[in-house]
Amino acid sequence: MAELINPNPVVHERKSTVRSKPAQRPEAPGADGRETIDALEIFDHIRDINDPEHPYTLEQLNVVSEEQIHVDDVRGRVSVQFTPTVAHCSMATLIGLSLRVKLLRSLPPRFKIDIKLSPGSHSSEAAVNKQLADKERVAAALENPNLLAMVNKCLAPPPQQ
Amino acid sequence: MDNLSLELVANLTGHQDRVWSVAWSPKGDLLASCSGDKTVRIWQHPAGGVQQQQQQQQQWYCCAILDQCHSRTIRNIAWSPNGRALATASFDATVAIWELSGGVWEQVAELEGHENEVKCTAWNPDGRLIATCGRDRSVWIWESMPGREFECVDVKQGHTQDVKVVRWHPGGELLVSAGYDDTIKLWSYDGDEWGCSQTLGGYGPGSGHSSTVWDVCWDPPGQRLASCSDDLTVKIWGSRSRMKTTTTTTTTIGGGPAVTLSGHHTRTIFSLDWGSHGLIATGRGGGGWGVEGGCYGGAQESWGLWVRVEGAHDGDVNCVRWHPVEPRLLASCSDDGLVRLWWLK
Repeated sequence: MAELINPNPVVHERKSTVRSKPAQRPEAPGADGRETIDALEIFDHIRDINDPEHPYTLEQLNVVSEEQIHVDDVRGRVSVQFTPTVAHCSMATLIGLSLRVKLLRSLPPRFKIDIKLSPGSHSSEAAVNKQLADKERVAAALENPNLLAMVNKCLAPPPQQ
Repeated sequence: MDNLSLELVANLTGHQDRVWSVAWSPKGDLLASCSGDKTVRIWQHPAGGVQQQQQQQQQWYCCAILDQCHSRTIRNIAWSPNGRALATASFDATVAIWELSGGVWEQVAELEGHENEVKCTAWNPDGRLIATCGRDRSVWIWESMPGREFECVDVKQGHTQDVKVVRWHPGGELLVSAGYDDTIKLWSYDGDEWGCSQTLGGYGPGSGHSSTVWDVCWDPPGQRLASCSDDLTVKIWGSRSRMKTTTTTTTTIGGGPAVTLSGHHTRTIFSLDWGSHGLIATGRGGGGWGVEGGCYGGAQESWGLWVRVEGAHDGDVNCVRWHPVEPRLLASCSDDGLVRLWWLK
């Protein structure tokens, strides 16, 4: 096994989900007949994604948080920022790709998804952001069986106790 | 210019994944489209019709599907100038050449050499050369040899990141490439080899685009170049001089972009095409809420956004192309899996 990039990450507890307003489920749709999507719902989709190198989730490592998610439901925009545990994390692109794939698979196609590093969180911030925003590179990456297997490993559900 | 509009005249359905590119045959009787579903579809109109009335009364239909050739996404397609052959560029690192024989499209050659994804291919105006480019940061030039053989005559390094697009100057003496390194490069032949004669952008703010250049196109006379980018702008580059020697004509582009069109787009502009009427169509990213196939007009350099079609597609518009004969007809394609035809009024 190769040396870990961050051998001792800080691990946080999984927070219990608290909704400040009643959840709008399909049986209680918005005025125009479709479900409204908020930051907490996006967070629920991505909090349990596995870290590529540690046996923890992205929430437990504080890579993603509800505060770093912004949703404009009317215009169909979702913006997610993530914070790698170390600024030279070579897994940043893989984490970003996993976030994008999870949201692509979970959200209706009307949503446009932007995935970015939180400002100042990475030594190659601009390069990683540019790569994650390039739809052609993302499409090509997801046709690469090795890379897709790594993404799917991050997205795999936790082993049953 | 203020009362222009674009009317949807046809929906071409069939692709099973996002449609990356569309290309009209030189005579405009056929439209080819390629997709993440690894196929090319060729669309035809019963009357070969380019008149609006015919567009509405008769349906375009899919007359051929080219499949079982590429193992990955087909990113781009190009017709040979005589309309008898088609080149397809794929993420599987190859370019295939297809010809129509006995009513069936057959793969007659394969261009192998790129290390990985090929992103664009373009036939030069006399049909003798094919340019290709890709993620390996190189531009390749291939020569058509007797017996349907294609020989690589030059591999051009110069771009520092993947190359998204190649297009030939209408005169054929100049090739333009652009891509992820935010620059546009002009390549010309000095009688011995192809060399980079000019790089547009890459010298700091104001010199060019500040993010990926997704598409470039020449105006019909070949005097100006337009480019579109992830930086949400369209730039028009004017040619400063055309030096004609006995063997070659060299086009030099002025020091910076002559015109920068900004403020019209809020998402990446993926494609643009300059029609014979002087209007530039642009296709951009956008969610289900708004995608435009806008047009810019250049009469007396009064640039503006003349038409905006919100919701033109239910996803990013990846490519827009004007019909080669009927300047009012436009084809667009999108992540929503559709090819659509529009009529400019």
